[in-house]
Amino acid sequence: MNGNGRLAAAAPVRRILALGGHEFSSRPPDRAVCELLLRLAAERGGERPRICILPTASGDTSELISSFYSAFGERPCEPSDVSLFRLGRRPLALRDHLLEQDLIYVGGGSLVNLLAVWEAHDIASILSLAWRRGIVLAGQSAGAMCWFEAGITKSSGKPAAAAGLGLLPGSLCVHYNNEPERRAAYLDAVGGGMPGGYGLDDYAGLLWEGEGTPSALTARRGARAYRVSHREREVAESPLPARFLPAPAPAALREDIAEFRRIKTMRKRAGWLG
Amino acid sequence: MKTAPRQIVAFGGGGFSMESGNPLLDDYVLGLTRSERPRVCFLPAASGDADHYIVRFYRAFSAHRCEPSHISLFRREQGPTDLRRHLLSQDLIYVGGGSVVSLLGVWRAHGIDSILREAWESGVILCGLSAGSLCWFAEAVTGFHGEPKQLRGLGLLPFSNCVHYERGSKRRESYHRFLLEGMRGGYAAEDGAALHFVGEELHRVVASRPRAWGYRLDVAGRRVVEMRIATTYLGDRDAPAAAPLPEALSTAPAAG
Repeated sequence: MNGNGRLAAAAPVRRILALGGHEFSSRPPDRAVCELLLRLAAERGGERPRICILPTASGDTSELISSFYSAFGERPCEPSDVSLFRLGRRPLALRDHLLEQDLIYVGGGSLVNLLAVWEAHDIASILSLAWRRGIVLAGQSAGAMCWFEAGITKSSGKPAAAAGLGLLPGSLCVHYNNEPERRAAYLDAVGGGMPGGYGLDDYAGLLWEGEGTPSALTARRGARAYRVSHREREVAESPLPARFLPAPAPAALREDIAEFRRIKTMRKRAGWLG
Repeated sequence: MKTAPRQIVAFGGGGFSMESGNPLLDDYVLGLTRSERPRVCFLPAASGDADHYIVRFYRAFSAHRCEPSHISLFRREQGPTDLRRHLLSQDLIYVGGGSVVSLLGVWRAHGIDSILREAWESGVILCGLSAGSLCWFAEAVTGFHGEPKQLRGLGLLPFSNCVHYERGSKRRESYHRFLLEGMRGGYAAEDGAALHFVGEELHRVVASRPRAWGYRLDVAGRRVVEMRIATTYLGDRDAPAAAPLPEALSTAPAAG
């Protein structure tokens, strides 16, 4: 499917998309995020990429799972979910299923619980293998911080540092300017010796493609990504230049637009339009 | 300070999670507290703290007969901040069903495992069904993720445990195999039966259904010895039989 298919198999590019916060709603910035997820998945999987959500951090809430399906159900992809709390009702070969995906999306919630449950089910090694095979790893909030060495979580009520899987070096703080107490805890932690990293507002994201520095993205005007580092006894915070992700037209409109274009082409061909 | 003995009531399945309209097991554990308005805390982590499950707990353990609360480890920003103090102040801790593997993982992450041991030692009654039974034992058989597997529990009770121990079930078959392969002996309970331990000794087996049983399992030579334990039916023997129960929610105790 993918022109680079063979090349990608030899040396897959390791990709991670970390998002500061979003939902699967039909609002424009959420649609923009979903479009990006779909595009990243399609770059690996072609026309009908496989996208799987791991809603573990939320306790596998049906609310999150159904909003994921309503965002991707009608799009050109094969969405699925792996609900570790619900496997009893629908057993599946966990490892095989995850390694068949083009993109694995991790939902938000409790970072501490996420890692604890993953450890109990031995998911971490599967995700790390998926990453090395070029399966895109993505997520928001706890689902973004989990890829780093550390993050700032409210898993125990107040914001506090917690460890992640460490696929990406350094740390991440999500909901950056949306939750001032979380940002404050992050700056304190980095000042206190936690490895530096990034702050992400809701609707800002960072995309790692292979080695090197990530590119910053934003789906909402004013939402920013920050580099946060500890330099000379001071914590420095600098906003990163970000590419704006426009929202695609909503589903209903997309059909209307396609129809309009068809009619326009027909009319052009018939010479009705100049 | 409590001077009550250490008590655990491990349901093979049953209570409000599985036996809507049959409160016998839930009434039994409430009765053990010997308190007029016992403090009961529900731990639903095995279900991922499913909202509908929490709601059903509050319906079953309504405020007119106890002081109910719950701890959601997925939403720590709500609820009690001092988990230890809250749990140690309870008369009864009720653990819901679901994935025992996930349950133990989440408990460890929040230090609940050691708090529960402390609570048990101080006389807080511990109970639960399915995953909420397996968790108390040293070894357990979980059938939650398809093929039954062995796992280690908190080890408050130095036995193995198998729940939903119905005739012909895969769990039963697997439990026997695990025992032959070296799993320590232990106890099994069918849906509706509950194993009541005082200290580390089985005190009695009670049931919410006339024909639900508890079992003792051991290995003698190269054979599994299964012994049915005399079980006390908690209901009225002369009452008309209860309506058929919904299908055993052995794999989905949090389902509606």
